[in-house]
Amino acid sequence: MEELTLDLLIEKIQSSDHAERAAARDHAGPVGARAMVPLAKIAATGELEIARAANRAMQNLVYYAGRPGAEDEAKAVSLELLKLLGDDQPMQLRRDVLWMTWQIADSQAVGPVAELLAIPDLHEDARMALERLPGEEATAALQAALATAADEDKPAIAHSLRVRGVEVPGVPDLRLKPVKETSVQPVGR
Amino acid sequence: MSKKSRGMPRRTFLKAAGSAAAVGAVAVPQIIPSGVLATPNRPGANDRITFGHIGVGGMGGHHLRDIVSRVGRGQTHVAAVCDVDDRRLENASRTAGPQADCYRDYRDVLDRDDIDAVVISTPDHWHAVQTVHAAERGKHVYVEKPACCTIEEGIAMIEAANKAGIAVQVGSQGRSQPEAYLAHRYLANGNIGRVHRVDCFHYPSPSGGTAPDREVPAELDWDLWLGPLRDRPFNPGYCHGTFRWMMESGGGQIRDRGAHVMSCAMWWMNADGTGPVEVEATGEAPTRGLWDSAVRINVTYTFKNPDWVLTWNQPGDPPPPEERTGREPGGRISRPGYGAVYQGDEGTFTHWGGDGGTWAERKAREWEPGPNAVDVYRSPGHMEDWFEGIKTGKKTIMNVEAGVDVAILTVLGNLSFLLGRKLQWDQSRREIIGDEQAQRLAGRPQRYPYAL
Repeated sequence: MEELTLDLLIEKIQSSDHAERAAARDHAGPVGARAMVPLAKIAATGELEIARAANRAMQNLVYYAGRPGAEDEAKAVSLELLKLLGDDQPMQLRRDVLWMTWQIADSQAVGPVAELLAIPDLHEDARMALERLPGEEATAALQAALATAADEDKPAIAHSLRVRGVEVPGVPDLRLKPVKETSVQPVGR
Repeated sequence: MSKKSRGMPRRTFLKAAGSAAAVGAVAVPQIIPSGVLATPNRPGANDRITFGHIGVGGMGGHHLRDIVSRVGRGQTHVAAVCDVDDRRLENASRTAGPQADCYRDYRDVLDRDDIDAVVISTPDHWHAVQTVHAAERGKHVYVEKPACCTIEEGIAMIEAANKAGIAVQVGSQGRSQPEAYLAHRYLANGNIGRVHRVDCFHYPSPSGGTAPDREVPAELDWDLWLGPLRDRPFNPGYCHGTFRWMMESGGGQIRDRGAHVMSCAMWWMNADGTGPVEVEATGEAPTRGLWDSAVRINVTYTFKNPDWVLTWNQPGDPPPPEERTGREPGGRISRPGYGAVYQGDEGTFTHWGGDGGTWAERKAREWEPGPNAVDVYRSPGHMEDWFEGIKTGKKTIMNVEAGVDVAILTVLGNLSFLLGRKLQWDQSRREIIGDEQAQRLAGRPQRYPYAL
């Protein structure tokens, strides 16, 4: 495939030809960080298959920019992702962006991600992203969140801290506690 | 029993059961002690093993029928069946019998003191979490393949199983097939010289998943089905069976059947405990649809000391299947679309299948060992081998380390494909080298409380 410019990528990712869309998706990486926001717009508003191709092109940008020796590109892509976490974006897109963020971002992402802990629909995705982001800043953000969290949110945040090697006394670990019941009774009993 | 069908501590139950029997009740759940224990959590050689089945559709249904078929022989007792889909659970209850309690939440099964072992046949994204939790409760584990979806999950499985001292059998049952023994023995005796290359072949993964998201079916607990995965709407193209074509869960044919075919390769190459130094993949993702596992993928795994190369070719160039009479140990070749070709200094050897159907080329079946021939371990059957592991503590044929290391091969292949770059691997630390992003992707966050 010819090397894609930004305009060509945006054109082809919206093609009605699924093979052409897929080729654009698979070759999006070298277009770089500037493609992130335009692709996100298509991912949020496009017809199902076009939106899907745009979303996966965003993920491919993250993978490409994360290669060894491309730290500047990784930083640029991370900054573009952070622009997409605001409340002007659809909820599902913000979730997807959070998932991409932990794969590439550094401590610069901690503040914007931690803010999303306050939004119930994004709380769990933000916690998961913080669990995986590198650096002491993410640990500190989780500790701060734990201090102010509602009781029902504390076990999950404490889990993320424990994953990061922090001891969290006094907060229960619910992983092995059964909570789901079935109405199915043993047949023939 | 309560509606929840919760188990109760054995001592409490025995008291309750005695009271029930005194008033003529017959339809009480039978919670049968494991017998005289040779060591804690280890049934004695002549004791039957008490099972809980977690995930009872598909292969889970197959395993349940297998374990139930051994009840009459005094080998087994089924105390619990568990599924997040009520229809599957009800079907399993019919198979298991009225003594088996029904659960939706696998942690109820793990809470039962009377259960010695669990058979985990849930979707792939649950395998590691449930294995680790079962180990933490001291249960022996049979877990379907692939063992894990991420490298970190695999490492956690090994640590948990070893700490608990449980017997784990990963469901790559190809190693236990009769013709697998013949193939292994043939190769171990140098019949094709030193093997320097193994080329696995498999037909492509499908494209699809074009239906839109929709309401969750009434019988399904979607939250529990997703478990550790991040939340997403229900889609009929991403549920029972079809999870296989999603990268975050099944990972496509390379992870599904790769966990069989490459398991045979690692066993026959005497390569358990070793790993590649380098992994490089190329491939093609589906052009549309929800499914995102590679339709075509070719992976080269480079091993050192000893030097050999393992390749996964999806599709490859499958050799035509042998003519068979049907009277061979493995019967007729019913799945000729996957297998592997072994390249030695002095010849080649082919097998087809690699799972419950494993077929060795004629020359291995007809080879007669001489007086100085080397013999290899002959599995009594994949379940039987696990039972021995439970009762004696012997290492199972597809033990947790072997199962995890084969799964890691498939995970590394997919990761190299996704990232579009070669990966360096340090087997001694089970760690990717020199690629910070790939290291980060060696694990992933999990939804709480469905976490390692």
